[in-house]
Amino acid sequence: MLQVLQSTGSPASDAALRAMFAARKSVFVDLLKWDVPVLDDAYEVDQFDNIHATYLVLTEADGTHLGSARLLPTCRPHILDSLYAELCEAVPPKGPGIFEITRFCLDRRLNAAQRRIVRDTLVTGLVEHALATGITTYTALAEIGWFQQILAFGWRCMPLGLPRIVDGTMLAALRIDITPETPELLAAAGIAARPMPSAGRRVAA
Amino acid sequence: MHLHAMAVRFMHVVEDVASADDLAAAMAAITAELGFQYFALTHHVDIVAASSSAIRLHNYPAQWADYYDGNALGVTDPVHRASHVTSMGFCWSRMPDMIPLTACDRKVLALGRDQGIGDGFTIPAHVPGEARGSCSFASEAGRPVPETILPVAQLAGNFAFEAARRLWSIRGHMPVVQQRPLTDRQRDCVLWVAHGKGDWEIAIILGISEETVARHIKDACERYGVSKRTLLVIRALFDGTLTFTDLVRH
Repeated sequence: MLQVLQSTGSPASDAALRAMFAARKSVFVDLLKWDVPVLDDAYEVDQFDNIHATYLVLTEADGTHLGSARLLPTCRPHILDSLYAELCEAVPPKGPGIFEITRFCLDRRLNAAQRRIVRDTLVTGLVEHALATGITTYTALAEIGWFQQILAFGWRCMPLGLPRIVDGTMLAALRIDITPETPELLAAAGIAARPMPSAGRRVAA
Repeated sequence: MHLHAMAVRFMHVVEDVASADDLAAAMAAITAELGFQYFALTHHVDIVAASSSAIRLHNYPAQWADYYDGNALGVTDPVHRASHVTSMGFCWSRMPDMIPLTACDRKVLALGRDQGIGDGFTIPAHVPGEARGSCSFASEAGRPVPETILPVAQLAGNFAFEAARRLWSIRGHMPVVQQRPLTDRQRDCVLWVAHGKGDWEIAIILGISEETVARHIKDACERYGVSKRTLLVIRALFDGTLTFTDLVRH
């Protein structure tokens, strides 16, 4: 089930958001070793997780987190303009129809095949959300390996600057244009929302 | 020279190509503009064995390409192996710091130099569920790699590989991985095989009988069409049924 959620300002108040912050801690802090704040030793929550953020959260029927993404309005401070402006050749794109995709998170308990299902469903959901709410452009910051995967989704992407190595990781800023044709482009690349196999998330040992 | 504008222009060029021949021509032009002489856009598979299903475009001298194919170097090529340990573009001169180079690897690199291929820059391209690939730009032996242009070459490689993927998938030729996935229990057993456990140990770990473990592993081998446990583990790693992270974190 895909839910579009706004933060109430108190992250602990909503079960789906709480599960997402915990999954983000597991992925971004424990696995990827990002240097980002952790709350109560359990939740990855930063200064952009405020009432202006929108979350797309994919859960199982019982609320278990499968994947999520955070959208930040570019009219307010966001990651590209606040922290990585040097990755953009010009000023980072800004406007009421432009949102930044951040913290794209696939739950660590998923296996490879399940990760692809969740990823594809979440990407499709991002496009549907954009078309439903008048978003014309997403911006994002991506590690270069992930950048190659983002291109493979088939939607229209544009680099905002040249890639740079930041703390040993190569990062690139990009823009994704969303139009009524985007769903067809995703479909042509084999990206579609798919149900999780009912056997679910069981993982060995 | 405006490097970002150059990268965007390359992106549009490769996006607009309609055939593999067009892409090869576009890549040859981009290669020259970047200051290199050769390019290779390829999936890391034995090209002769995989025939037309795998991406492969290049402008290397024909003699070198024949030798390369004749010796099935697509799978053992040190450049390809090095591109599996990083996601960012790297100069070939850095390879000794990235992967252990065998005597044979050094021989292959020396042979390439004899054929006129010097240092190069390789952009890894990995799309989950598909064979790994890369885009390389190389200089003629004796000519330096044009350093300042490398960030542009990086983006050109990313977009070129995606353009090739698009063309090959239209042709219905993308390498397809495992059609019939393992069951969860088979996967559990393969995971422990990968950890070096025998049937008896796996039976204890999973709380099932030794016979059941043996059957799961036999069935898993059948799904991949392999008869050896080592091959089973390799195939499961290759198609993402298991990840290296699975093997490290237990």
